[in-house]
Amino acid sequence: MPSLAIVTAEFITLARAQATALGHSDLPIAVIPHPLGSRAREEVRDIAEQHVDAIVALAVAGAGGEAQISSNKTNGYRVGHEAAFDLADDDSAINKRFRERGWGDGLPVFAPTAARVDEMLGCVRRDRHDVIARIAPGFGEATVELIAVNAVMAGCDPEYLPIVIAAVEAVAAPEFNLQAVQSTTNAATAWLIVNGPAVEQLGINAGSNCLGQGSWANATLGRALHLIMQNVGGARPGEMDQATQGQPGKFTFCCGEQTAGHPWQPLHVERGYAEDTSTVTVVGASGTLNMLSSEKDARQLLRVFADSMRYPTSNDYWCGGAPWIVIGPEHAAILGGAGISKAEIKRELWEQSKMAANRRAPGDIARTQDARREELGKITPETLLPISPCAEDIGIIVAGGSGLHSVYVPTFGNTRSVTRKVDGFR
Amino acid sequence: MPETVRVYNPTPTRRSQLQRTSLPTVTFKGLMVGFIDNAKPNFDHLVEDLTGLLASRHGIAGAITRRKRIAGIPSPQDILRELTRQCGLVIIGSGD
Repeated sequence: MPSLAIVTAEFITLARAQATALGHSDLPIAVIPHPLGSRAREEVRDIAEQHVDAIVALAVAGAGGEAQISSNKTNGYRVGHEAAFDLADDDSAINKRFRERGWGDGLPVFAPTAARVDEMLGCVRRDRHDVIARIAPGFGEATVELIAVNAVMAGCDPEYLPIVIAAVEAVAAPEFNLQAVQSTTNAATAWLIVNGPAVEQLGINAGSNCLGQGSWANATLGRALHLIMQNVGGARPGEMDQATQGQPGKFTFCCGEQTAGHPWQPLHVERGYAEDTSTVTVVGASGTLNMLSSEKDARQLLRVFADSMRYPTSNDYWCGGAPWIVIGPEHAAILGGAGISKAEIKRELWEQSKMAANRRAPGDIARTQDARREELGKITPETLLPISPCAEDIGIIVAGGSGLHSVYVPTFGNTRSVTRKVDGFR
Repeated sequence: MPETVRVYNPTPTRRSQLQRTSLPTVTFKGLMVGFIDNAKPNFDHLVEDLTGLLASRHGIAGAITRRKRIAGIPSPQDILRELTRQCGLVIIGSGD
């Protein structure tokens, strides 16, 4: 089928790289000025009038054309370099070379030397050339070896590799929608939750400051996944990663879930895995919001949690998302002590977080209507929008240290969390 | 002179082998054009304006526009099948 893409100038790198990755490197692309969405109606008409003839000329010319109007960016997803090369055995020089190539995240990396990579590969019974997944939006092949290379760069201990492999499998699952999570203007990124024996065996922090600094495992596991998303998936900032601001979680975003004193089944058991199985879960998270409450009444606590989830610029209300709550252990004790099950918590949060559509801006209500027509029918300003299609879509884990804090984790909306078993851990 | 060390490249050194399609050229006079509206703000207006201009300046027979529910998903298969069946050219959009 003859096809043609109309692309705003800031997105040309993404469009060309995606077309190439999907086998359509010769897709004709007509470039129009950026932005389009914030322009007045008359300006859109002017753009159409100014570009229609170029669009026709492109289509008539056929494959490979590009009506280049205002973009001088290059395709950031470069392939064809050698798989390994020799450098002076000097950390500064190696980091300098990696920075020049755009292979890092802005922090120093550990040099992925053959010795380090080989040592890490010794921790899994997989062929180093096995392809675990193709990573959107560039659809690079994440081989076991390439995963290990990036994990070494992140500073992972060799025995972390099975966790990183499982995380790569998880983000590549279609329901996670990595293509959109990676290339969106939203701040979304992958939040990695580890469950089961691996949490204790690897020293993954599920307690005090579990979403903060200080744990080697949390810091390097999350960083490894993000380096893979960038280096293998091609999502380099300002190129295929189009995040308007991004968020600190794009460096690293990883924690464990507590098991001791947990009033409910932990996440992996809730999802059908044995308690002694280790799993990873990935969430398309847009950030974190701290929730402080000294309330002792469980129902009142849930009420203020639900109210904190409700804000008019949320992607979850726009698309019908799947947001998460990290319940601190002291809050979990109050809720568990009141005999409230996890399913009841989800139901109550879902009911109480419904938000009148008119809290959103009129233009955003129209987009909500487009996105949720099948689910909700006609949306009026008075329609109460649920945050997710059903209560079960709300995710809950118990993590954190002492204190009267829990955390709300809004999501990209058009993504679903994915859990995968970690091979190599019991 | 410092010693050298073998270091791995952290990016793919080859792309997946995907089928490349060859895109035939088109003639606009009498053509039915398909648009996939990506649901981004103003793209519907751009499609509306282009449809009018393609008809008045270039003689297309008509246009079929189908709107995605949301930008961040692939086009549904039924839309792709319909446009493939009925149109001689499909125009898509990307950007903000």
